[in-house]
Amino acid sequence: MRIGVVWRALVVAMIGLVAPVVSAWAQPAGTLLVGLVAEPVNLDPAQVTDLNSNRVGRRIVETLVTFPEESTQVVPGLAESWTISKDGLRYTFKLRRGVTFHDGTPFNAEAVKFSIERQIDPEHPFNKLGKYPFANYFFGNVKAVEVVDPATVEFVLKEPRASFLTILTSAAASIVSPTAVKKFGADYALQPVGTGPFKYAAWDRGQRVVLEKNPSYWRHPVKIERVVYRPIVEGQARLTELLTGSLDLIVDVPPDFVTQVESSPKATLQKQVGAHVWYLGINNQRNPFDDKRVRQALNYAVNKEAIVRDVLKGTGSLSRGPVLPATWGADSGLKPYPYDPERAKKLLAEAGYPSGFSTTLWVPESGSGMQSPVPMSTVIQSNLKAVGVSVILQTMEWGAYLAKLRTKEQELFALSWMAGNEDPDMVMYPLLHSSQWTPAGPNRALYKNERFDELLQQARLTTDQGKRAGLYREAQRILVDDPPWIFIDHEIQTAALAKRVQGFKLHPSFDLRVETISLK
Amino acid sequence: MRRYVVRRLLLLVPVLLGVSVIIFMVLHLSPGDPAEIMLGSQATQADLERLRAELGLNEPLHVQYVHWLGLVARGDLGRSIWMKRPVLGEVLGRFKATLILTGAGLVLSTVIGLALGIASAVRPNSLLDRLSAVASLFGASMPVFWLGIVLMVIFALWLGWLPASGMFAPYGGGDLWDLLVHLALPAVTLAAASVTIIARLTRSTMLETLGQDYIRTARAKGVVERAVVLRHGLKNALIPIVTVVGVQAGYLLGGAVLTETVFAWPGVGTLMVQGILARDFPLVQGCVLVVALSFVLINLVVDLLYAWLDPRIRYE
Repeated sequence: MRIGVVWRALVVAMIGLVAPVVSAWAQPAGTLLVGLVAEPVNLDPAQVTDLNSNRVGRRIVETLVTFPEESTQVVPGLAESWTISKDGLRYTFKLRRGVTFHDGTPFNAEAVKFSIERQIDPEHPFNKLGKYPFANYFFGNVKAVEVVDPATVEFVLKEPRASFLTILTSAAASIVSPTAVKKFGADYALQPVGTGPFKYAAWDRGQRVVLEKNPSYWRHPVKIERVVYRPIVEGQARLTELLTGSLDLIVDVPPDFVTQVESSPKATLQKQVGAHVWYLGINNQRNPFDDKRVRQALNYAVNKEAIVRDVLKGTGSLSRGPVLPATWGADSGLKPYPYDPERAKKLLAEAGYPSGFSTTLWVPESGSGMQSPVPMSTVIQSNLKAVGVSVILQTMEWGAYLAKLRTKEQELFALSWMAGNEDPDMVMYPLLHSSQWTPAGPNRALYKNERFDELLQQARLTTDQGKRAGLYREAQRILVDDPPWIFIDHEIQTAALAKRVQGFKLHPSFDLRVETISLK
Repeated sequence: MRRYVVRRLLLLVPVLLGVSVIIFMVLHLSPGDPAEIMLGSQATQADLERLRAELGLNEPLHVQYVHWLGLVARGDLGRSIWMKRPVLGEVLGRFKATLILTGAGLVLSTVIGLALGIASAVRPNSLLDRLSAVASLFGASMPVFWLGIVLMVIFALWLGWLPASGMFAPYGGGDLWDLLVHLALPAVTLAAASVTIIARLTRSTMLETLGQDYIRTARAKGVVERAVVLRHGLKNALIPIVTVVGVQAGYLLGGAVLTETVFAWPGVGTLMVQGILARDFPLVQGCVLVVALSFVLINLVVDLLYAWLDPRIRYE
């Protein structure tokens, strides 16, 4: 029969499909391969708002003040030292000498002035190049940046703000090479030039961003030649690439894969709690949530331990409030609300809801810092059902969700905040001060407590950290008694490392500091 | 013939205009805007207003549309809101990767589909025919993302034969072999559903054709069986098959979005998904225009193929 030909073709095709075609892939020496969850948007830290862009961009540019290896306390960066005037309005920085940008431009006070003013001064010749989304949020309070001498720069504020040093650690406060911005114009965002441990080398869209080491990095010698970042959305693909040796480091290991990595001889799992909080917001102005007993009851009703253990597989740490535990502003005496459905029912009865009530919970399908929003909310829904509160879950796409929260029609809503630093002002003020009610600000719970407002305002005007901590501790105790949200968890970041990676540590700020890595 | 082609190409203009209006409306009328997403949950109303004004989002919709159309008429698709890069270069660069993937998927599904279909038709109800029927059912019901992950786990993770994702090795590499090795899993994943459709259709049309009188005549006058099947049978069965392959080409372009996401393939699909999530209007409009254009062109090619395959078909 002539069909034999077809058969043969078929067999050949099948063999072609499944034949082992192991490529001659060998890990290039000195090259660190990193798997990101998404591709960076651009690399100008003043223009981006997403984690992946910052994790790459911050290798290239640096800030005046920064965080040490294991915490988010403020330490010197490009500035060696600083003084703050008595009235808290003038911050004077002594700059590190002898540092140059990757393009040879000297780092000096002019460069600092240029980097900040291009964002806040509409008349600045380079203001129109970008959109600088956070310029107002971070630097709206800056009146002027003054060059005292080449190695001294002074920030003049409109009103005192004790968290200003922390603001200067943010990506938007990165110092860029003025020469490069002038040369590249709008394209600067695609090929930034800074003073950091790595220089921009190449970007193949959708495939990889390559950074080469800065051989004359001022802080310490960089031990790897280059870093290649690859965007891989699918969790299984990221993990497979790591376990087959095509990647050295992946972040955001999906909770379901955590045990797989832990048991693999080829990889190690690293965890680090991040400066983040996941909360179930409550509209404090709506009946029945305007009664604090109802809000307390909701906190008692939710089994946070179960969420962290079963949904997040240990990638979350219980939250007692907005401030990250074990940081200078946290109240170590605070206890998380225990899971106590009986107490919840009692409180509901006292508030006049012995048989509960019905409400709606808005949940985004995904979103920056949202962990596993839908499964987490489903557990919350069933917990609340058990105390008589029947909840309708409404899931939305992230963009639509953010728009919807502006309507003030929310009853319950799932949201998170990634401050990236431990200053209590940077999380409590925007989220809970009554001047920040949505839509003007991010206080979407429409929370208002006069004593709390007062404490926060007072803390802003106090430069002494010890005194500030005292004020914040009192504020946190108020939040336990008069809870604005159901407190859920602080994300524990995860990274999986190939065995050849040495000297890496996840950072509480969510930054990905690969400059400390050496390859075995 | 030439006049026909010119007329069809001219028809592209209203089609693309229609597509652009629809996509423009869908994007702008869906909740959430680029400013909202860029600023995220930390946005203040003042920052939002400022950014919206800078992005021109406060203009009435028709003004924004006409402005964009004006750019397009000058061959400029604008700058991506989100990535700050010119849209045209970005989309064309990514479209190349999608074409490679879709092309490979189409070749695989056509070759295997035809072979399976012919083999089944020549020996209906044989073991091969039954297996192919079962495989078809299976192939048509497997979701792309599931099949992709299963193939990835088997061939990359367990066997270590093929790379799990990407288009080239992360560093070094970049030659044809590197590309083919990376192409294997996504192309097979993409082709799986189409193979079965093409195979089933080929089988039924071939069965019908092989039952025709001229086939019996050919056999009676002693033509060798291979020529009977391929020259007399297949050639006459090709019109519906070409139609369905054309439809599949369009389907594969669309299906590539999922496959690209699973395998981190740097194509226009992943770009479009990111663009939609970021409400990056110029970027999404650019992507959709390019995909719509290629869809229309594929249809044109299919129509022209009819005339070439069957001399009785004429276009005037």
